[in-house]
Amino acid sequence: MTVLQIDQLSKKIGRKTIVDGLTLTLNKGEILGLLGPNGAGKTTTIRMIVGLMSRTAGRIIINGVDTKTDHAKAMNSIGVIVENPDLYKYLSGYDNLVHFARMSQGVTKQRIKEIIALVGLEHSIHDKVGTYSLGMRQRLGLGIALIHKPSLLLLDEPTNGLDPAGIRELRAHLIHLARQEEVGIMISSHLMSEMEMMCDRVAVLQQGKLIGIRDLSAMAQTDELQVRFEVDRPEAAVQLLQTLTAGLEILRDNDHIVLRIAKTKIPELTQKLMAAGIQIYGVHTLKPSLEDTFLEMTEGDKAR
Amino acid sequence: MINLIRNENMKIYKRKRNWILIGIVVLFTLIQFVNLRSTGSVPAQEDWRSQLEQEIAFLKLEMNEPDALPVELKQAQKSILLNQYHLDTDLPPSTNTWSFAVDQAGNLMVAVSFISVIIAGEIVAAEFIGGTIKLLLTRSASRTKIYISKYMACLLFGLALLSIGAVISVVLGGVVLGFQGLGSSYLYVQNGVVEQTTIIQALFEAYLLQIPFLLLTVTLAFMISAAFKSSTFSIVISLLVAVAGFVIATAMNGWGWTKYFVFSHTNLTQYVLGDPSVTGMSFGFSAVFILLHLLIMHLVSYPAFVKRDVV
Repeated sequence: MTVLQIDQLSKKIGRKTIVDGLTLTLNKGEILGLLGPNGAGKTTTIRMIVGLMSRTAGRIIINGVDTKTDHAKAMNSIGVIVENPDLYKYLSGYDNLVHFARMSQGVTKQRIKEIIALVGLEHSIHDKVGTYSLGMRQRLGLGIALIHKPSLLLLDEPTNGLDPAGIRELRAHLIHLARQEEVGIMISSHLMSEMEMMCDRVAVLQQGKLIGIRDLSAMAQTDELQVRFEVDRPEAAVQLLQTLTAGLEILRDNDHIVLRIAKTKIPELTQKLMAAGIQIYGVHTLKPSLEDTFLEMTEGDKAR
Repeated sequence: MINLIRNENMKIYKRKRNWILIGIVVLFTLIQFVNLRSTGSVPAQEDWRSQLEQEIAFLKLEMNEPDALPVELKQAQKSILLNQYHLDTDLPPSTNTWSFAVDQAGNLMVAVSFISVIIAGEIVAAEFIGGTIKLLLTRSASRTKIYISKYMACLLFGLALLSIGAVISVVLGGVVLGFQGLGSSYLYVQNGVVEQTTIIQALFEAYLLQIPFLLLTVTLAFMISAAFKSSTFSIVISLLVAVAGFVIATAMNGWGWTKYFVFSHTNLTQYVLGDPSVTGMSFGFSAVFILLHLLIMHLVSYPAFVKRDVV
């Protein structure tokens, strides 16, 4: 089921085109990453979806509701984290939650309690937000975004300024939400390794245009990968592998042998090597990182 | 809508700094009492007749000075008439709690407006400065509703502050001067004749009919806050305009052109407890003139707030 449908979305400011005819869909329970260099239009796209910015053209449909015709209903099913978690610093965490709970229908006291437990702020919820660390504010921000049980979550650069532990925690929350609660999540970030770890699909933007969508799960399973074997007798191993893979390019570097094969072939090859009496110290897959894919896509675009 | 106004109220009253502002108004009211006690404007002594006669003679002298302003002439004339009235009816002039509270209304309104301007100047701009506007506008409430709720919260704050000041004036006045005199009448000069009304009516008129001053200054601060996102700019400009407006309207009272000066209209008591500052002005004209100003200010800030791209 589609939770978000963007159709020919454009934004022009003066003569400059910030977003150019963007068409995208996001499904229930899916995590979609928006990737692109600075100025590619990621933030503008998210801000147009949530109504912070006006659009020049295009349609945005959230759970079957056009945001133009019924803004209130469309917005009721989305949760937003835009950049830094800017909250009311002079209010307590609890008052911040109450503030936003009041802005949605049907948020009970019980729900507020649930949210506090979910983001793990039981001990500091009555302290002023001004005293919170960035990680705590990020958690409270997530709580505020989730308090009305949205079916679509939009995050703009949510990992900015977070430490590794904070990033990891946020990632765990997001994956849980997508898998268990079937929330559709759209996230923009410039941290490609992050995107790689949690996104199902990544949409690459450049100069306001969508230049490609990559299915990351597919990339990890069906594509050929660089595999590196670490063995005790490299010459013998190379010979054996050459016969097994029939003329595939094999690189050798001291005790390391690198070749390009599908992931599914790894068990077979290791078994054969071991059967031939070759000691294997390690097998590493060097998967093409999202960074490579990204550069490939954006460079390719420039060459055209 | 009610929830949105509750939110705005929470953001105003849960902030310690704003209680200092409220404290300033309380302090201001207290200072008025120190004033009252030290000047001791209760000449209920034996020789009150000769005192009033002296005052009349002095005022007449002042009126003959060639450089007297129209407002000075008006005030002097008014005082002479009131003093003469006391002499004629053989009733010594006296200040009681209630008449003191009536006379306080104007001062209090200015103090309350200055403080409310600070709240109104921040109420929209602070959301932009703090970045919270992004959270506020990505909920199901429309921008129009947010705008209205914030404006309402400012006005409610001003009215609450006014009520606090009025209650303190009456309660403290009661402690200092006693609560008697509620049945007495309030004297004022209209059309060159001394008139009187019940003190209760005068009290309500004094507090309600001066609210346009508060309305105008708060709306100005709110307009700048919502349209230009700057609280400093908003507060400074609004305070300057409020001070200048108040001073000009007071000093230039009686000059013909002030008929088209909005601050000459904001004190509507001039139609019930006195004479209009420029002859020919009417209550209806003043009301329309004020509403027109409010409307124009909202026509500047509302579209700016509703259409703005939040970056």
